[in-house]
Amino acid sequence: MTPSCIALLTLLTPLASAAVIAIFLRKQGTLAQTVSVLAAAIVAVGALTLAFGGHRDAAVNVSFEWLKLGSFTFALGIKFDDLAALMLSVVGVVGLCVHVFSIGYMHDDGARARFFGGLSIFMFSMIGIVLADNLLMIFVFWELVGFSSYVLINHYHEKQSASDASKKAFIVNRVGDFGFLIGIVMCYWANGTVNLTELGAGHHVYSTLIPLLLFCGAVGKSAQLPLQVWLPDAMEGPTPVSALIHAATMVAAGIYMLCRINVLMVPNALTVIMWVGTLTAFYATLCAITQRDIKKVLAYSTLSQLGYMVAAFGLGSLEIPPDGKVGELVVLSAGVGAAMFHLTTHAFFKALLFLGSGSVIYGCHHEQDIFKMGGLAKKMPVTFITFTIGVLAICGLPFLSGFYSKDAILHLAQENNKPVFVILAVTAVLTAFYMVRMWNLVFRGEPRSHEAEHAHESGLSMTAPLFVLAVLAVIGGYAGHSFNIYGHAFEGVWSQIPFAEGVEPFVMSLAILVIGAGAAIFLYKPAATDALEDKSPALFGFLSVVKGSPDTAYDWYVAKVQQRFALVLEFIERIFLSGLIIRGCSGVVGLIGIGARALHVGSLHAYVYWFLFGTALLWAYAAGWLN
Amino acid sequence: MFTHLLLFSIVAPLAAAAVISAGLPVRIAKVAAALGFALPALIALHAWYHFAESAQDHGYAFLAKYDTGLQSLGIKLTLGLNGIALPLFVLAGLVGLAAGLYAIQSNAERLKTYLVLLLVMQGGLMGVFASVDIFFFYFFHELALIPTFIMVGIWGGRDRSYAAMKMTIYLTLGAMLSLIGLIAIYYKSHVDSFDLITLREELLANGLKAGVQNNIFGLLMFGFGILVSLWPFHTWAPLGYGAAPSSAAMLHAGVLKKFGLYGLIQIALPLLPLGAAHWAWTLAVLAVVGNIMVIGFITIAQRDLKQLVGYSSVMHMGYAFLGIATFTAAGIGGVVIMMVAHGFSVALLFLLSTSIYHRTQTFDMTEMGGLAQKTPVLAAFFVTATMASIGLPGFANFWGELTIFVAAWKFSPLLTVLAISGVIISAVYGLRSAARVFFGQPTEAFAKVSAEKPPVDLVWSEKFPALILIVALLFIGFWPKSISTPLNSALGVIYPAPTAQLPADNAK
Repeated sequence: MTPSCIALLTLLTPLASAAVIAIFLRKQGTLAQTVSVLAAAIVAVGALTLAFGGHRDAAVNVSFEWLKLGSFTFALGIKFDDLAALMLSVVGVVGLCVHVFSIGYMHDDGARARFFGGLSIFMFSMIGIVLADNLLMIFVFWELVGFSSYVLINHYHEKQSASDASKKAFIVNRVGDFGFLIGIVMCYWANGTVNLTELGAGHHVYSTLIPLLLFCGAVGKSAQLPLQVWLPDAMEGPTPVSALIHAATMVAAGIYMLCRINVLMVPNALTVIMWVGTLTAFYATLCAITQRDIKKVLAYSTLSQLGYMVAAFGLGSLEIPPDGKVGELVVLSAGVGAAMFHLTTHAFFKALLFLGSGSVIYGCHHEQDIFKMGGLAKKMPVTFITFTIGVLAICGLPFLSGFYSKDAILHLAQENNKPVFVILAVTAVLTAFYMVRMWNLVFRGEPRSHEAEHAHESGLSMTAPLFVLAVLAVIGGYAGHSFNIYGHAFEGVWSQIPFAEGVEPFVMSLAILVIGAGAAIFLYKPAATDALEDKSPALFGFLSVVKGSPDTAYDWYVAKVQQRFALVLEFIERIFLSGLIIRGCSGVVGLIGIGARALHVGSLHAYVYWFLFGTALLWAYAAGWLN
Repeated sequence: MFTHLLLFSIVAPLAAAAVISAGLPVRIAKVAAALGFALPALIALHAWYHFAESAQDHGYAFLAKYDTGLQSLGIKLTLGLNGIALPLFVLAGLVGLAAGLYAIQSNAERLKTYLVLLLVMQGGLMGVFASVDIFFFYFFHELALIPTFIMVGIWGGRDRSYAAMKMTIYLTLGAMLSLIGLIAIYYKSHVDSFDLITLREELLANGLKAGVQNNIFGLLMFGFGILVSLWPFHTWAPLGYGAAPSSAAMLHAGVLKKFGLYGLIQIALPLLPLGAAHWAWTLAVLAVVGNIMVIGFITIAQRDLKQLVGYSSVMHMGYAFLGIATFTAAGIGGVVIMMVAHGFSVALLFLLSTSIYHRTQTFDMTEMGGLAQKTPVLAAFFVTATMASIGLPGFANFWGELTIFVAAWKFSPLLTVLAISGVIISAVYGLRSAARVFFGQPTEAFAKVSAEKPPVDLVWSEKFPALILIVALLFIGFWPKSISTPLNSALGVIYPAPTAQLPADNAK
């Protein structure tokens, strides 16, 4: 098979799987599951074959004209460089892990076929984004991942909260896409093309607006401030969905998209991007501290880590040598390197943490409150060990994956922007704090509820993916020059990573870990109530307000602004248009057509007769009978 | 046989109507009606499949002329399809088939009369898009319009007599204005022919004076505009569709309403380019501010499912008018795709709304909820229809909206931005309606209804017509070239390069 064929196969297999499930296997959960998992396996094999087989660019790239109207042309095509290869591998590997995990997790679900069909349609859409060679094509698949996310969040139809969350996710994403689409249209007119390769070869720096508008798409999809409101709610979906879509891949698509269009960036836009990312990272950490729901902790942690990646991308350009453009380019690539590196390691350890939480939730009979758990280390040893690895990785313990990628970002910040560095470092401390708080409450001490007491380890289909992801969470960070587990596959991305030299990063990371984790272990004795709330209600209250106010603002907007505005317009419509204009019109009709109102309206039948009469008259006239 | 293909597509439903009204037993009448709806659909698909290889004259394939005794007035029944008419002809055939099948299985009172009227309407619809002669183009529209009024008046729901009256007044006024405009073109062109090809050749060579063009285009724009529910002349639409029986609503909102846009694209714009330029801004502002934004928000406020679909259809017409205002091949091509896509999706939504009504006994969405637990297939279909209608890629509607947005940017960035905000508005009302009807827990009112009569999932007689529409939406959504290739070549003829200049003079 030619590389292009493999790429197309990788893209289309999940689509075929979704179609087969939707049409034939709606009631055959087990068969649907088999089809979907097989599709995911084909994707994983295809992705790794392409990525590690050394096939790049010319060997893989194809393009088809898909729509042409006037001089507007839409093409579907593949651009396969190291960046795409990396992202495709992440999606393939994590996707397969999540599919396999779902076999166990969704075993008793009544609508398994719909669930696995949804996963397949998601895989198709996500791979579409990864392979796309132009902005409009990215937009097409961008919308489709939004759709699959909607379907999967809404999996539990009977839950009002799931229904609300799915709606919110889709609409908030559309707000981001509103800007994204305007940006794409502007880019099209500014450059005459939206093809990534052609834009890379040369483009007009038209205005700062284009990159910022395109960034809006990432703000929505990657849940950055101020559109972060949808992601925590999206946890209403089944946990494997949270792992795949709302942690490892789809929400990271915003960062991937930014890296795809890095050539379009200008310094001012990057400054904005950097600050949005930094503030999101910090804000989400504050929110995570007071959460009781194990998935919500992880959700805010995801937000925070996505903020890191966005900040890393934005940090890329801040030091521009006054003389040359070369330096600018190099620094920018450093942003891409750091962001994609963290995206990769994060996908591994966050998918691990989410699947781990899924295993915990499944073991505890769907209990999600961490204060009602405790003592699970003994009852669920595999989950405990793998989860612990995930926690240590996200906290940045030296030699684990998260250490290297987080350190690259902190290093970049330290070099380029001190305030950002300070905020991100504090965020790292707080991350260690809330992660260890959760870990402590879930696994240590004694069981604090009936569910926790009767917890049991999950089956092999769930623990095996945990094991694979745990291994990747450990070794995924070895992408350096001296020791690289990826070989030369992603050289184009890895070579840009701004690694720090010397012992300084070790000292810094250890300090962050010790302060954050130490405070958490000190503060949170395994107990049924939140220690922070007990000891400092004021601080706890403040953090709750910080967490709650965007949701309040969103609800207020929907109920008080949008709905009332709509109702007022409808009222005006009823009063004025229906009342006045229809009378006016009937008046006009009356004037034009000699009492047309009476003729037409008095009786509908009259209208028919007039039509027949007129037609007959016309024929008679044409035939000359009237002359 | 094949030379009279288009004529046959018009005659078949009319003949079926005649046979049924001659007094067949109901069961045979149903078969006759099914044939009357199926034949035009098959002919339309045949025409679409063989369009590229067919002999063409001035871009028209399957051209056939019939003398109807009106020769002395320059009127001849000329039938033919160009790339613009073709997709709409297919739309009319397929939506007609879906609406017809849905009607045949319905338990409407006086079913035979209902079917006769629908078949007459179907004959008119096929004729509208197959006509190359402006007189017959108008004639067939009237032929399709009259049954609509009667059906609303007889089989309508709430407020049917008021709705029928209001619809009649508005649509008659719109039709009259456009008739005056069409006659003015005939009169001013001095070619003594209603033949569109002749008129086009004459007026391209010797265009009318600017002042004349402005006046005629104004008449056509408001006349056709009323028929397509241009804001603020739209109030008949939600009311009328709310009251209309479902198959009539499907055919009118899905197909007949496109008559106005089709008239603008096929007749008004190419014959009156100066007039179009003169009115472009008025049209675009009314479309964007009125149809898209104001109506968009009003749609959000709707509680009645059928009214919501009606308003959303008014809103989507805003995109079409905006595309027309751009006066570029891309913009107008986008409008044609939009028209076809909207035709399928709005018909599907009306069909499913009625199916929902049969299970909830109400159109009030505040008295529903949780229906998906009982009827998963209906829920999936409805979400599909909603997603198509709000422009999700993979469905035909997306291509229309996207092309219109891209083309509109050169016309006015500000209006384009406002128009794109519509994608948020439509997501709000679309998803909200799906959530209110299907997800979460049932409301008390619905719990009561479903306790008395447990809702069953979609049955095949509902599923099949719905699937025709869904497959069409997906087919064009995945393979837009299926209609854009002939469309694009037709646009190249009618909207030649100078006016249709697109991308960037500043391209690299």
